[in-house]
Amino acid sequence: MSTVESRPTAPARPPAGADAEGAPLKPPKAFDRPRFLKFFMGVFFLFLFVPIALVVLFSFNSSRSLQDFQGFSTRWYQTFFETESLRDSLVASLQIALVTMVIATILGTMLAYGLVRARTRVSSSLNVLMLLPLVTPEIVAGASALLLFTQVKLDLSLTTIILAHITFSISYVTVVVRARLVALSREVEEASMDLGATRWQTFRLVTLPALWPAVLAAGLLVFALSFDDFVLSFFTTGESPQPLPVRIWAEIRFGVRPTINAIGTFMLVISVVSIGLALLLPRLFGKRESGLKVLLGREGA
Amino acid sequence: MNENRFASAFLVPGAVWMLLLFVAPLVFILALSFGYTDDLGEAIYSTRLDNYERLVDPAYVPVLLRSVGFALAAVVICLLIGYPVAYYIAIFGGRWKNVLIALVVLPFFVNYLIRTYAWIALLGDDGMVNGVLDTSVRFLNTPYAVIGGLVYGFLAFMILPIYAALDRMDPSLIEAGKDLYGGPWQTFRHVTLPHTMQGVLAGSLLVFLPAVGDFVAASLLGGPEEVMVGNLIQQQFQASDNWPFGAALTVATMAFLLIFMLFYLRSAAREAREATA
Amino acid sequence: MSGDTVRAHSAEPSASAIRFERVIKRFGELAAVDDLNLEIRKGEFFSLLGPSGCGKTTTLRMVAGFDQPSQGHIYLDGEAVETVPPYKRNVNTVFQSYALFEHLNIEDNVAFGLKRRKVPSDEIRSRVAEALELVELHGRGKARPRELSGGQKQRVALARALVNRPSVLLLDEPLGALDLKLRKQMQVELKGIQREVGITFLYVTHDQEEALAMSDRIAIMERGVVKQCSSPEEVYEHPSGPFVAGFIGVSNLLNGVVQNGGVKLASGATCVADVPSDCPPGSEVHLSVRPEKIWLDELEEGMVALDGTVVERVYVGTTTQVIVELAPGMRVTALEQNVARARSDDRWQIGDRVRLGWHREHARVLR
Repeated sequence: MSTVESRPTAPARPPAGADAEGAPLKPPKAFDRPRFLKFFMGVFFLFLFVPIALVVLFSFNSSRSLQDFQGFSTRWYQTFFETESLRDSLVASLQIALVTMVIATILGTMLAYGLVRARTRVSSSLNVLMLLPLVTPEIVAGASALLLFTQVKLDLSLTTIILAHITFSISYVTVVVRARLVALSREVEEASMDLGATRWQTFRLVTLPALWPAVLAAGLLVFALSFDDFVLSFFTTGESPQPLPVRIWAEIRFGVRPTINAIGTFMLVISVVSIGLALLLPRLFGKRESGLKVLLGREGA
Repeated sequence: MNENRFASAFLVPGAVWMLLLFVAPLVFILALSFGYTDDLGEAIYSTRLDNYERLVDPAYVPVLLRSVGFALAAVVICLLIGYPVAYYIAIFGGRWKNVLIALVVLPFFVNYLIRTYAWIALLGDDGMVNGVLDTSVRFLNTPYAVIGGLVYGFLAFMILPIYAALDRMDPSLIEAGKDLYGGPWQTFRHVTLPHTMQGVLAGSLLVFLPAVGDFVAASLLGGPEEVMVGNLIQQQFQASDNWPFGAALTVATMAFLLIFMLFYLRSAAREAREATA
Repeated sequence: MSGDTVRAHSAEPSASAIRFERVIKRFGELAAVDDLNLEIRKGEFFSLLGPSGCGKTTTLRMVAGFDQPSQGHIYLDGEAVETVPPYKRNVNTVFQSYALFEHLNIEDNVAFGLKRRKVPSDEIRSRVAEALELVELHGRGKARPRELSGGQKQRVALARALVNRPSVLLLDEPLGALDLKLRKQMQVELKGIQREVGITFLYVTHDQEEALAMSDRIAIMERGVVKQCSSPEEVYEHPSGPFVAGFIGVSNLLNGVVQNGGVKLASGATCVADVPSDCPPGSEVHLSVRPEKIWLDELEEGMVALDGTVVERVYVGTTTQVIVELAPGMRVTALEQNVARARSDDRWQIGDRVRLGWHREHARVLR
């Protein structure tokens, strides 16, 4: 931008010091010039998309090779859908995601309402408790869930996966819904009671309709997260059926297989569609704000 | 108060669920970490410190150090790549800002396993790169592959907070900085970087936390020399069936990460206080 | 307090729409409302007036049922309601933020209260139409709140409350968010509607002009206590104390000491004044005179007169404020109308010596 106009600065001063992580600082002046940055961005996007493009592309490869694209074919998708165990895994993943979505949304929304509208001595502790799963490393989550189920003599199955998924999804719902709820003025709820609606009716007829975009967006987010989850599922899964990511893990251990490309592409489509819906649906319901803003909790246009 | 009672009732289901399915398991893990495995392979609760002593065994210390090292390397690389990307989009993105950020985020909708697998497809002995270049370079089963896998897995978590911080910054500050400091480099050092430090810290934490406990990257992209604590934990609970030791590893990992989290929270709170002062 | 004493306070208990009996509301250590005793008559347009924090909104919320008094009783139509939840009280509220239901259209907003009471649907339809006519929003029933302007939203809020035919309508600074012109227009409309419908209005505001314009009676509150409760004229012409005198309209408050039949001002000058019996000689008082009651130079016989220097002139269109300094630190604002024949800024320049005066009965001695 204005690099050409800059006054002659003392050039001898090297960038001393380091940033927070102790890393060497960025390369010199050329860094800021858009031309260099543009090139950097190009390389970056290449680095980012090439692996995925590869997976998608080769999912349609007619041969097993990962080096030559020998023709367009959907055989790997056929293999995917025709293999019973893979089909079962897909169905299992969808079932888990669906149930998790419903229950986590209900529990998370209720929790959000309680945290915002109730004043209790345990409110702040509950708030911290609710946030903890978000910062708990997945491996800790998985190991502890496994231990719990073993202790209570609950056999590992789809149910245990669902229980674990719900536990770690509630926080997402609460955070998203709470941001929306805080923006909702109390006076609207008071007006409702003033006009003769009981507290329960107010919640049903006034609060929930206003919260709806946030609840929906959170639910779809939970769906996508659950469908994609690996570590938690890995620790809490039974023998069969296993959710798709767990099956993928098993397949990958055997080496590179073309079917995985097909599965990966398919899962990508599902995730993109879910998140896409999460961003678009609130808009379709007549709200002016984009789903992204709802998810991030920002009010207004 | 009537209103309070009504709203408080809403807290109950979620709170009970969290206590039973989140807190209780962690308590179990903590308790088990002081236990041992008997001759029959059963995990017994006890009050022994054996598992913790094992942590400092020369066999395991390298694993712990390596995990931290790989994670740190991943953070640094993510920062070196992520900051410029965030900077470009925030400052030079213009109307394309949202599209660019969406493009950055899009790949991360692909399942983590698949994304890592893609690198196997690319860098494997029979992979694309070796095919195109007609060589047989050993890319995988190296620490670089693992770190690369971690970077590729969590890069978005670094970019987004930094982008948010840059986007929130008043552009006139940069202009003023250019006037004051002359060179763009000085401006960056004295104006831009301090203002986005919270974003940098957040991004670093969001990469560091999952990277330390990760076992997918090391498993798929690394060899026996690249075992991380995540792999170790996974082995204890599945292959080796030594749950008490696994529990101790888990507790140690969690405690280690909690320190960083607290440090970050304290810094974020201080920043919030200064912003309103 | 027994029932007999209660009856002794009012000849017909049922003539009061709202009655406060020793009501106290505490938030922690602070008493937002402190020993409130008020009676609001049926069909009255009653205003609670005061600066922010004086307790007027808290009082309103207690009548609505959103807050409960810490002590004391509130009677609606003769019945104690402290423990009755808002949805069971026969009062409705108009909020400053309108509080409309954004997910419902105008008709459904207005019909909300009626539906909760299970009123038959054809009756709902006709009453809603009636209410919308009343607030001049006929035909906009299908619109959504976000399509309306501030003034229109306020009317919807009003219609939504009135359609339920409450015994009392509570209004919490309903015109606060509107611009000046619209506010003045709505004030006239609201007063008209109240007269037409005949419902008791309890109106909260911090705008004293608004209260004076609309109310049958005003209660002025400061820090949780009612300082004066009477008609607008009473409150303006005969303020009970310095706070009221200073809050209602503009007033000059001159410090002084009572001295045989008058007040000796801090500047040294003495004024003849009507000293009330509870102010013995030597007591410190304020002499309160309204600016429009002060004459400049062309004084009449028998007026109280003081000399001073013009230090400022402020032209505000219809009038000119002339600020005269009687002594260092003691200033008086006089108001001269800018009538065609005489323009004040021609007459008094800054620095001019001037003689100002007022009729004795226009000054109040306040403690």
